[in-house]
Amino acid sequence: MLKVEHLLKRYDRSDPDAFAVRDVSFEVSAGEFFTLLGPSGCGKTTTLRSVAGLEMPDEGEIAISGVKVYSSSQGVALPVARRDIAMVFQSYAIWPHMTVGQNVAFPLEAAGVRSAQLKSRVERALEMVGLAAFRDRPAPMLSGGQQQRVALARAIVKEARILLLDEPLSNLDAKLRDQMRIELRDLQRRIGTTAIYVTHDQDEAMSLSDRVAVMSNGRIVELAPPLALYLQPRTAFAARFVGQADLLECRVLGRDGDTAEIECALGRLRAGVLPPQLDGPLSLLVRPEHIELHESAEPGVNRLTGVIERIVFSGRIVEYFVRVGERVVRVQGTSRAMFAAGRTIGLHLPPERCVVVAGALPAGGAAPH
Amino acid sequence: MAALPHAAPRPPEGSGGWGVRLAAAAVAALLVYLVIVPLVLLGVSSLRPTGFPLEPGLTFGNFATVYGDPRFPKLVGTTVMFALGSTGLALVFGILLAWLIERTDMPGRGAFRMLVILPMATPPVLLAIGWAMLLSPRTGLFNLILMDVFGLQSAPFNVYTLPGMIFVESLALVPTAFLFLAPAFRNMDPNLEEAALTSGAGAWFMVRRVLLPLLWPAIAACGAFLLIVCFVVFDIPGTLGMPARIYVLSTQIYYLTADSPAGVPLYGQVSALGTFFLLILFGLGYLYYRFTRQSQKYRTISGKGFRPRLIPLGPWRWLAAGGVTLYFALAVLAPLAILVWASLMPYQTRPTLSSLGLATLENHLDFLRNARLITATVNSLTVAFFAATLVAILSLVVSWLVVRQRAPGAQLIDNLAFTPIAIPGVMLGVAMVYVYLTLDFVFPIYGSIWILVVAYVTHYLSFGSRLANGVMVQIHPELEEAARASGAGPGRVLRRITAPLVWPAVAAIWIWVLAHAMRELSTALMLSGRENTVLPTLLWDYWTGGEPTRAATVGVWLIVALAVFLTIWHVLSERSANTRAR
Repeated sequence: MLKVEHLLKRYDRSDPDAFAVRDVSFEVSAGEFFTLLGPSGCGKTTTLRSVAGLEMPDEGEIAISGVKVYSSSQGVALPVARRDIAMVFQSYAIWPHMTVGQNVAFPLEAAGVRSAQLKSRVERALEMVGLAAFRDRPAPMLSGGQQQRVALARAIVKEARILLLDEPLSNLDAKLRDQMRIELRDLQRRIGTTAIYVTHDQDEAMSLSDRVAVMSNGRIVELAPPLALYLQPRTAFAARFVGQADLLECRVLGRDGDTAEIECALGRLRAGVLPPQLDGPLSLLVRPEHIELHESAEPGVNRLTGVIERIVFSGRIVEYFVRVGERVVRVQGTSRAMFAAGRTIGLHLPPERCVVVAGALPAGGAAPH
Repeated sequence: MAALPHAAPRPPEGSGGWGVRLAAAAVAALLVYLVIVPLVLLGVSSLRPTGFPLEPGLTFGNFATVYGDPRFPKLVGTTVMFALGSTGLALVFGILLAWLIERTDMPGRGAFRMLVILPMATPPVLLAIGWAMLLSPRTGLFNLILMDVFGLQSAPFNVYTLPGMIFVESLALVPTAFLFLAPAFRNMDPNLEEAALTSGAGAWFMVRRVLLPLLWPAIAACGAFLLIVCFVVFDIPGTLGMPARIYVLSTQIYYLTADSPAGVPLYGQVSALGTFFLLILFGLGYLYYRFTRQSQKYRTISGKGFRPRLIPLGPWRWLAAGGVTLYFALAVLAPLAILVWASLMPYQTRPTLSSLGLATLENHLDFLRNARLITATVNSLTVAFFAATLVAILSLVVSWLVVRQRAPGAQLIDNLAFTPIAIPGVMLGVAMVYVYLTLDFVFPIYGSIWILVVAYVTHYLSFGSRLANGVMVQIHPELEEAARASGAGPGRVLRRITAPLVWPAVAAIWIWVLAHAMRELSTALMLSGRENTVLPTLLWDYWTGGEPTRAATVGVWLIVALAVFLTIWHVLSERSANTRAR
């Protein structure tokens, strides 16, 4: 459906090392919900805008359902209007001089759709987003959530093959954002369109996507379905960016099939997930909610003893800071079983949740907010 | 980011205590005195046989004379053609300039943006004099050059015509149009255009259906404003039209008071003519108000600070830069150069290498020894200083009462402060004459420089209060509420929080009024007596009295002073904009 190959975009023609996007390639199949995830400045929006045709890349190929819309080798650059896409902007970009209905009708008018058909299609689109009653309302007289829905209706009315969404939920407040997230996913499934979604929010990326591409410094560092990305990341950057993680520098002592004996600040441990290559700096990832706490320390594989230094109770989650030797390890539990601060406790790091990832990150670096 | 974020939150209406009410009443009374009393006297005067408001008698003769005059339709026709022509030209070039500077990759955009204030620093009367020196049929430099080059028998251009007036007026108004429209181009979320493109609209469809409709209220408001200016303006029709007996409303009024065939000022007829004038202007003022309201409604919101999408012009960019350079050459460089040249000459002469030998600083040294010139300089500075200071203070108080306190009668105060924008300088001058001849026993300021101060305060308050309102609206009330919650009383809040925050805007108002009061000609001419000669009236006397080189000298120094003031103004306004953007 969408094929992007070796996309490259420089910030500045005169500086050969200033890249907004460098060598980005990916393929999205029909009906898929595909997300570009990364911190600001990682090149995700530039990539999306290049697909839309709003930005002119310097090199690469982009094809939408087999049609080359951009190709540096063939000198092709289709204008925005002739690409089979629709787009939702972060600022919604609702035209303030038109009513809701006029906003939604615009793409059909631009395509020359006749008025009878136009009217029914506008109505259908407004119904889908639950704004049928607002058709004649002036667009500026809407709340943020309603403007968001108008932007969606305007995008889906065109029935384009690909729906491009540039951080569409980031201007909404938290509650509305959760609700819109569910609606958005439902809508995309119902109309069966292919969606390319840009966000810096890992929760959004996880809950919406079929596959997520994590970007950093203009490159895709990892591309996987949400579950694999979370449980078996290959890189320290992705491990850190999706979900919480304390990374411990480690080295592999010996490999045993799919598992490996490793050494880190916590001592010798068995890790159940390994990256394809074991050269270069490596880190151990154990997510705080995967560490089990026990009343007493027991001997065994990946079993440790620690002292609880501090407890942070935030309702749904109880967070323990447990000192194990030189290190403090973060552990998350629920309020079902609580442990008091200051006591000695047993920890179990299940080997299948001990993930070795490539690269090391300075503490506190590039953490998601 | 929230819903419906357009209006800044305001405290509830009538939240002030007795102090605020008292202040509001005092300001309202002052504004009624400054604005309404002159207008009422103007109306009364039009019904008096002698034209003086306190003298007896009631007549419609003045109206009959003015509107029954067979030349009246022509007068209106000329005025309308002059106003529409100048506004149309200035709008076209202003839109083009704003688009080129704000939305394309034309080379030198930043420099041009700074240069835009230069034409504003040139008083219209000097632009007209400069162009008279360049395009007059007998001595105009460009005419002489063209005649030499093409061997013509007669001058190809004559600036003393209606097209000549329109040409010079539109040159003068392009920067105003630019300053009006540039923010509209700059602040428009480029996503709005991109959304149209991703909706499948081609470039032209997008321009027609999205870009132009979005800009339309700003363009219409700008057009209404320019029309008001063109109806009101005296300088250019006075300099270029009157010698050729081409009259517009404002010059006709001047003619009836200063130059009338009867030998005495025909105040009754002036007032009768003035009522018609005011009717048109209030109509335009209302239109302007409507369009600005609408353009604010369209103000768009956006999540992130956006990078404006610059349109690549390709090879056209150099042509565009050339065109803009040509504009600046015509609006500033050429008239200024000929003025400087004339100021260095003992008599008006064509610039050649041989006449360079005649160059002398005699005219400039006049500033040190000519008593009339020295008095005029001191008068100008005094008037400008007091007018600017009073306008700045009054504007701050007015907008604080109107925007922040929502004092009782806020709407009335706001409208009163804005009304003078539609009162032409010549009319304001005449009205002042009535007021202070009538009230001579209370305020004996007729014929002194103080009557000019009062007139300028009235006139420039409309601008000052607009600017102050704009800033006041954008300073979030929570900043003041936080001060109140910290235990500060209203006085301390104004002194410690509000005043420092609006200070850059107040300074900008001060400088702007200073510059404009220095160059104001029409009101000063109507009110000029022996004691209150200011630089513009002296310059006018020199020019109409056949001393162009002396007029040019005064003009050159006036421009230098204005350029300095307006540069400071520009810097302060930018800073004030930055404070608001936080």
